[in-house]
Parts: sequence; C-alpha cells; structure tokens
Amino acid sequence: MIDAGIKKKINDVVGRDYVLDSELNRFGYSYDSSFIPLLPENRPDLVVLPRTAEEVSRVMAVACEEEIPVTPRGAASGRTGGSIPLRGGISLCLDRMTKIVELDERNMMVTAEAGVRTIDLYNHCAAKGLFFPPDPASWKFSTIGGNVAENAGGMRAVKYGVTKNYVMGLEVVLADGAILWTGGKAIKNVTGYDLTSLFTGSEGTLGIITRALFRLIPMPKRRGTLQVMFRNLDDGCRTIHTMLLSGIVPAAAEIMDRTCLEVVARHRKTELDPEVGACIIIEIDGDDDTSLEIQAKGIEDVAISCGAVTFRAARSQQEADEIWAVRRGISSAVAALAPHRIGEDISVPRDAFPEVVRRIAEISKKHGFTIAVYGHAGDGNIHPSLLCDLSKPGEEERVHRAVDDIFAAALSVGGTLSGEHGIGITKRPYIRDALGEIGIRTLKAVKAALDPKGLLNPGKIW
Amino acid sequence: MTTALKQRHDMDKKMDHDLLREAGRMVGRCDRCGTCLPVCPLFGVKGIEATSARGKNAVTRALADGGLEPTREALDIVNFCLLCRACVDTCPAKVPTDEAMVDVRQHLIDLTGGASTKYKLVGGILKRPGVVKAASAALSILRRSGLNGLFPYGMAPEAYTRSHFLTAFAGPAALGQQAPPSTVSVSDRSKVAYFRGCGMEMMFPEAAAQTRAILENTARLREPGNVCCGLPHLAHGLRGDFLDLARRNIRIFEEADVVVSDCASCGATLKHLGSFFADDPAWKDRATAFSAKVMDLTEYLAKVGYTPRQKTAAVFTYHDPCHLVRGQGIAKPPRELLKAAGGFVEMKGSDICCGGAGSFHIDYPDAAAQILDRKRRNIEETGASVVVTGCPGCLIQLAKAAKASGGKFKAMHISQVI
Repeated sequence: MIDAGIKKKINDVVGRDYVLDSELNRFGYSYDSSFIPLLPENRPDLVVLPRTAEEVSRVMAVACEEEIPVTPRGAASGRTGGSIPLRGGISLCLDRMTKIVELDERNMMVTAEAGVRTIDLYNHCAAKGLFFPPDPASWKFSTIGGNVAENAGGMRAVKYGVTKNYVMGLEVVLADGAILWTGGKAIKNVTGYDLTSLFTGSEGTLGIITRALFRLIPMPKRRGTLQVMFRNLDDGCRTIHTMLLSGIVPAAAEIMDRTCLEVVARHRKTELDPEVGACIIIEIDGDDDTSLEIQAKGIEDVAISCGAVTFRAARSQQEADEIWAVRRGISSAVAALAPHRIGEDISVPRDAFPEVVRRIAEISKKHGFTIAVYGHAGDGNIHPSLLCDLSKPGEEERVHRAVDDIFAAALSVGGTLSGEHGIGITKRPYIRDALGEIGIRTLKAVKAALDPKGLLNPGKIW
Repeated sequence: MTTALKQRHDMDKKMDHDLLREAGRMVGRCDRCGTCLPVCPLFGVKGIEATSARGKNAVTRALADGGLEPTREALDIVNFCLLCRACVDTCPAKVPTDEAMVDVRQHLIDLTGGASTKYKLVGGILKRPGVVKAASAALSILRRSGLNGLFPYGMAPEAYTRSHFLTAFAGPAALGQQAPPSTVSVSDRSKVAYFRGCGMEMMFPEAAAQTRAILENTARLREPGNVCCGLPHLAHGLRGDFLDLARRNIRIFEEADVVVSDCASCGATLKHLGSFFADDPAWKDRATAFSAKVMDLTEYLAKVGYTPRQKTAAVFTYHDPCHLVRGQGIAKPPRELLKAAGGFVEMKGSDICCGGAGSFHIDYPDAAAQILDRKRRNIEETGASVVVTGCPGCLIQLAKAAKASGGKFKAMHISQVI
C-alpha cells in the first residue's frame, strides 16, 4: 500500500491533478490490449502522470526509497501485458510527455519524448521529407516510448527493419532515479557497452525510457499499394517468397486468410468472392513512377504464375489508405469474432513462412479451433489468432495445448516466440524453451545489476 | 392500470434489468486496442483512461461481469460521454460505446433510485408539447426553477437571423442573382410532415420558421403536432418516458409518408426507434415503418432536388453534428446545399464534436469549453464568415464560439442560409 505521506511526496513532484487514486481511475490503468482478462483486476495503488524526465526521476527516487513497484505505461496498446501492474504499486503513465524535442535535418535525426504518438513523429518528419519507417499496426495511438521498450515492428520491416534499427540514443531514468543518456548522434560509436540496444526491447524492466533519439532516412518519392487475391494461403505465401527471391523487395508484404477477409466484408457490408481464400497487400516504393511500374509488373507476373485470382493496384491515395486501414484494423476486428481471442506473434526465418502457415492449419484442425492467420509475410512474422470461449469447461486446457503446438512449430523451424510484441506476461511460460537456462540466467544477471530491488515492471518476461 | 398498460409497463421494466447484460455484451467485442483514444474528444482534453471510450467500455464490462461495484463513481464515468460516436466510427470491431453508455446510465439510475431531479424536471417539461410550444412559458419555468442554464435563453436574442444574414451578404456579388423559384414539384401523393424539435422551437424559432418556409416550397406541409423525440429522456435514465414519447410520435405520424427533421439529434433518434421496439411485438413493425420515413432536412432537399433561394457572397464553413454525420451518415447533402448558396471552405476536424452534446455542456462546462475552443480555432482558420450546422444543440455551442471569436464569424442553422 502507498500511505498518505508517500502520496504527498508524489503529489509534490507532479501536481495533485496528475496523481490518480480513486477506485475506477486506478482500474483504468489495470489492463492493456493483451488477452489478459480484465478480472481479476491488476489495479495499481496509484497512477502517476509525469510531464518531464526530471519528474520521472524524482518519482523513481521515492519509489526506490519506499520499495514501491513501478510499471511504466504509454497508451497500453501492447499485446502481451507489458504495461499491466502485476504487483500493484505505481502505474507510471508517460502519455503526457508529448514533445518532439528536435528535428535535426542536417544529421537526419529526431529526438522525441516517450509519450509522442508514433504517427505524430512520422508526420512531423515527413513534413520535412524525412522518413521514420517503423509503423506498428497501432501507430495512430501507440506511443514511441512503448515502441522502443517493446522494440516494435510493423508492416515496413521487410524492407526497412524494426524500431531498434533507428534508435541512436536514449534518455533512461534508472531504478534509483538517476538519469542516464546512452548513444548519440555519431553514427559509429563503440564507446562502452551498447546500452542503447540493451534498453531497446527491455519491456520496462531495466529503466524508464523517457526520451529517444532516432535516425531517419529520406522519404521515398513514390508509393504504390497492390492487393492480390488467392484461392488459398499457400499460393499467397509462394508469391511473396518467389517475389523476394527474384530481387523485388517491397516496403511491406502482408497476408491475411479467409477468416480475416470475411470479417472485413461483414464490416463493409460487401460480399466476398467464394473462390477467394487469402489476400496479400503489398506496398512498393521508389524514386519515380517507372520504378513503381516495373516492380508492380514483376509482382503481377509472379502472382499470376502462383495462381492469383485477382490483382489490383490502388489508383488513388484514398484507395491505398482504405486498403491499409483494413489491414491495421484486422487484429481487433478478428478479436470481436469470439468471446476470447488468443493472439500470438511468432516469427520465423523467411523461407520457413509457408511451412509454418501450413502447420498452423494442421494445429487448427487437430484442436478444433478456428485460427485466423494474418501477418507480415515478407519478414516471417505471423499473428495466428486462436478464437475460443474460455467459459466453456475444458476449453482453457485445450487452448494451452494448441498454443504449445504453435510455439513448438515456430521453434522447430528456427523461429522465435515473439517478433514484435515482446514477452510480457502472456509468453512468459514459454521463454525457457526459447532461450534455455543459460539465456535466462544471463537476462536475470542484467536485471539484478540494474534493478537490484526488483521494482521495475515486476513479474514480466521470465 | 389496464392490462395492456400493465404489460407494457412490465416490458419496459424488464428491459431495464437486461440493460447491463446487454451493454456488457456490446462492449465484450472491445479488445482494448486503443484505436479510439486519439478520436475521443474527452480523452483529448482530460488524458485520463476512464474518460476515453476504451476506459468506459472496460468499466462497463467489469460492471457486467461483477468485478466492479455499481457506485456513484461508475455513474459519473458513464455520464461523462458526449455520445458523439467518434469512437464507434473508428473502432475496428464497431463497438457501440454510445449505446452501451445509455444502457449503463439507465441501469445505474434504476439501481440508485431514479434519475436526478434536474433531468426529471426538464424531461417533464419536454414531455408536454403545449409547454414547449409556448417557449417563453417553458423558459420561465426553467428560470424560476434555477435551471435556465440548461437552455441558455440569452442565446436566442443574440441569434443571427435570416434577415440579418441577407442584409449583410446581399452585396455586389449577389446582385441580380436571386435564385429562381424552386423547380421541384412533389407529387400530391407524398404527404410531407415536419417534426418540430424542442430545441428548434424553444431556442431557434426563427430558424424553425425558415425550415417551414423551405418545406412549404416543396410540398403541402403537414404539422400534426408531435411530442419530444425523447433523446434527453433516454440519455439520462428516463427510458420509460422515452418509450412512451416514441409510441406517441409513431401514432401521430402514422399518416405521413415523409417525416422531415431539421434537428440532427431528433432525426437520429427517430431513425433508430425501430431497434428500441425490436422485442415488442405490438410496436415492432410500426416503429420500423416510422423510422424508415424519417429524413433529415438536407437529405430530403437533396432527394427533391432543391435549389437554395439565393446565392450570396457569404463564405460558409460547416460543422457536422455527431448525430447527423455518424448518427445518420449524412455529410454530403448539407455541403452541396452550401456550395450552391455561397462560397464554401472545409474546416479541419469538421466532424469532431463541438462539446454541446445535449446537456453535457451544462453538466461539464470546463471540458465542453476546452473542446469548443479547438472547434473555434478550426472555424477561424477557414476565414469563413458563417459557420453552419443542422442541430440546435451544436448551434448553442457555435453561437458561444462566435461570440468568443469577437465577431470573426456568425453561427447559423442551415435553414437560414439556403
């Protein structure tokens, strides 16, 4: 519990309006967008909404002294429970830290506070012709601090990589309240351990990321969107694989199955061609229209040779936006199909993608669950969504067995548990299989060195 | 009580008890992704999870599943909603947060022993058409009861009338451009009726008169004398009254072929009546048939090919009432009409709620003022001289914004400028 004296100290740091302690306000910070149920609640004892790194530092100093657990949070759009306060304590919500501190055009870098929404950072840079590529499906509402802490991926990873490929430096408030700066604007930098990489993807367990420095690249001059329909997922996977081997690297290559297409059709009140069983959406970019035309033609040829049913190129920006909006909303739309949805985030070597998709179809049949499949086919990251009703007797046990099989399939082809969502709470039981004893021991050693009291985001990862 | 009345009473009650379960079912589709966060105007000004659509849905689900107690704080949370549907529009799973909020309000109010006295009094006034018609009488009751804040009478005298508008904008560009009389001929068979909204009657009678004038140009207008659409009752835990008013309106307009509303909120409510009687075999078909006849003024005018009575030099911008753009999917017809009546500039965030939201601006003046301030800046950025809308609730807010802008623009109902 946090007594009145401690509350007063924290009020003095951030101001009374930014400390929430009523029952329902605390309830609001007890969940994220993972499938961890709302009940029983994981309510924090206190919600603190700091505005500056200095305030974060002073809150951490109090928490450290009083040994209060602290769980950092942005928009709570994470899918693995990363921002859920498992042990009560403080939910440290950084969504008021919304300043884009500096856009350094000469060095093509940008510095932003943790609470800046991903899309706002993208637009801010795009206005100057600079490109910040990481674009998780949630980019309209996710915050950049969470993107770094989870090392978020996105649609464009196939060509441009993930968040960590752009992080040049970080401002981190450590467990005792000290403020650390890592990295910097020098492109080559081997001065000491690479702490920037250590904190990137650390899921709030090593420090509170309050500010990040990112490198940018020039904005592609032209973009195009293609939508190709297939009879089945296999033809779609084969198209993407053949396309990549032929030397065409699209900015994004997404796949979705019949279940996903049906939910889209239902929302748009349209009829889905009964012949269609899968869809791929591709973004291509380049310097001019000719470059786009060459890529589009190449992709069309490959798609037709792989049995494409229809091939459509978006004719306007609005049409392209609509196609991508559908893709971005798929996860939540699919989730609404059943009382519960267990969403996974496995990632496999690119050449194993068709194989793992086939195995998921077998797992679906074997356990009798609908498993909707969509994901980033271009980079081997797939999101199988298992649809179930956990209120049915015995269902939970069957779900566990099916999920075990999904992870086993991913690991057996050389893949991993999480491509872009992190481990959080939901994948914790499986991490030993993925990393082994020595792997876990090493993670724990790092944790003990940076957070000896175990206050930062307790109960996560292992 | 007669048997029929008793049955109806029981049915209304039964529905009340099922409301929380129904709301829980609706928000059960929410997977808490957060897509609604950037579009929720209240989360935009408060920044606290429980003020967002996601936060309210989570509270609703936990209430329905028995994890949270039905407290005063819970009622405060569901009351703090504009019912603007911006979240529903953007939601990948189309969770109807507004409908869920209305249901949970009713449920919590039933539990805690009835609607607040304030809403009962206002609801009572709006239920009596005679009183609404005598707008000044209604307002004097409100003033005597200290409730005049709900209907800011001070707004009406400041309202900008059609004649002011024509005087101001009949400049050189308008000379000789008097629009020809409307060429529309509506067949004698279509019986067109006007639905007089309480807000239009009480606060903007001049605009309501213009609606009548426009409609009389297109058809022989009928005014069977309706009662309140019931939205204020529904939104504040007086569901029984709402259903009662709905039945009366359905009966009153049974003879009409088309029911035209110049209030976005009335129109949206009336268009949805069918769904409220889905479980009531005696009223289901009548309610559905009634809803199908309801049209917004601009929707009707687009259908009959109406041409504005004049084209002036005025430059308009348009504010989409939530209950028109999302409640009825109407965005194009009013813009087309305005383009035919003068210049038109689209404003940024034209479909974001103005903060009026029925009596929300009275209950939560600070939040409403912050939302309105953003709206005012967006209007000013267009350089337009008149902001036009199609809802008396919005018009109250926009008139405040016009005043705050120091005369940079006027606020008017669409009937006054076409």
